[in-house]
Amino acid sequence: MTFLKIGAVLLVSIVVQLTVFVDVRVADVAPELLALVAVLAGFLAGPERGSTIAFGAGLLWDIWLPTPLGLAAMAFATVAFAIGSIEAGLFNDTRGQVSALAFLGTFASVLGYALLGEVVGQRGLVDIELLRVALIAGLLNAAIAPVMVRPMRWALRGPMTFGRPAPTRA
Amino acid sequence: MALAQRTGRSRHRLVLLALTAITLLTVDLNGFGPIESAQRVVRDVLHPVTSLAATVFSPVGDAWNSVFNYGDLEAENDALRAELEAMQGAIIRGEADTETLRRLLAATELPYVDDVERVAANVVRGSVGNFDDHVITIDRGSREGVAEGMAVVTGAGMVGRVERVDNATATVQLISDAALFIGARLVATDDVGLGHALPGESGVFVIDRGLDYPDTDDPALLPEIGTAVVTAGVSSYPADIPIGTVRAVERSSDEASMRVEVELSTDVDDLHFVSVLLVDPPEEFQLDPVVPATDAGLGVDPDLLEPEGETEGGDE
Repeated sequence: MTFLKIGAVLLVSIVVQLTVFVDVRVADVAPELLALVAVLAGFLAGPERGSTIAFGAGLLWDIWLPTPLGLAAMAFATVAFAIGSIEAGLFNDTRGQVSALAFLGTFASVLGYALLGEVVGQRGLVDIELLRVALIAGLLNAAIAPVMVRPMRWALRGPMTFGRPAPTRA
Repeated sequence: MALAQRTGRSRHRLVLLALTAITLLTVDLNGFGPIESAQRVVRDVLHPVTSLAATVFSPVGDAWNSVFNYGDLEAENDALRAELEAMQGAIIRGEADTETLRRLLAATELPYVDDVERVAANVVRGSVGNFDDHVITIDRGSREGVAEGMAVVTGAGMVGRVERVDNATATVQLISDAALFIGARLVATDDVGLGHALPGESGVFVIDRGLDYPDTDDPALLPEIGTAVVTAGVSSYPADIPIGTVRAVERSSDEASMRVEVELSTDVDDLHFVSVLLVDPPEEFQLDPVVPATDAGLGVDPDLLEPEGETEGGDE
């Protein structure tokens, strides 16, 4: 059931990204909704399950991106693992802290995606615009995070149909 | 102890995911067919959902654009721009030297662009991410005969090439992408070279390969500012598609070749309707002997030199 719920969240996220955020942009930068799902998965589900969900989110996003398959998946999984590995006691599930994590996680995801892309020969990803894009995307995701955390918490709740139950934060 | 075990398991999971990603990257970069097919299937399956959602959410985008992009003037501007571009395209086409064009076409066995079968398409969306500025998606795909590498045009001229084709949609790499190389012909001098968009400068295309600077400083041998530039008959695309007009001509840093800046005839930043020319690109394209001018000594006509091996680059 949780698998289906996570799939539903990913499906809605990719549809919104491909429709709403094609037009709704700030300074020509769109929110990175799939990266936000990855960050929240790492935060709410821990490094193991979070990185797996983030990998799936990145893989789904890769299908529509012009870059090769696996690039966003790798970047998102790594960031989700890092966020999930942060000592749980450091963070409470407050709106401010969720937004801060969303900003940092998105910023790192965008940078990681571009840097990995350059490593595998995708030219034009790392340029003077990169920091601006990562910064604005991070801020936009920070604004969306308090809304997005609700469906993510819903999706991760309940008995698991694969792997171990998710240790969601209260 | 339990924490250490959990951390170790998490790391193993991350390593496994990283290896999976590297494997996918490797096979996808090598054009592994089943991976591309699987992605195409996912896009095709979700296409009805995204189409429906695009209709449902279009008021959101319109509202956003009307607030931040002065959308109430957009429709009027679009109509005027389309009309102006069509007129510009007609002027550029009219300038083309028909006889030379026919000779080029006969040599390459490509049909005249006006006779080419084409399919009209709506632009369904622009870039979806933050790193694909020079990409649009159109609502025509393989079921309408669209294939990778085909030229995409408007009434004003060249827009780009089909990059990726699904059943019902296709992704177009715009001419504004500096990574897209196009064979271009200067109508005024009949010289053929290879060009691409100038990074960081919107609407400017530069031909910086294959053009020799005249041995004498006779300005009559240089293309005049404002004269037309069209696709070359030896390019991957049908000949005589307008690209733009000459904006500046200068000597390259190597002192022997010519660098021509072209103002694009099509505004690719705001496209709504395009046409795909249903002509399959050649399997393997070689630009007819482009001997780097630097290889020739001063006073030696590069055309007299034998080409050495395969020409580097191409239209792609």
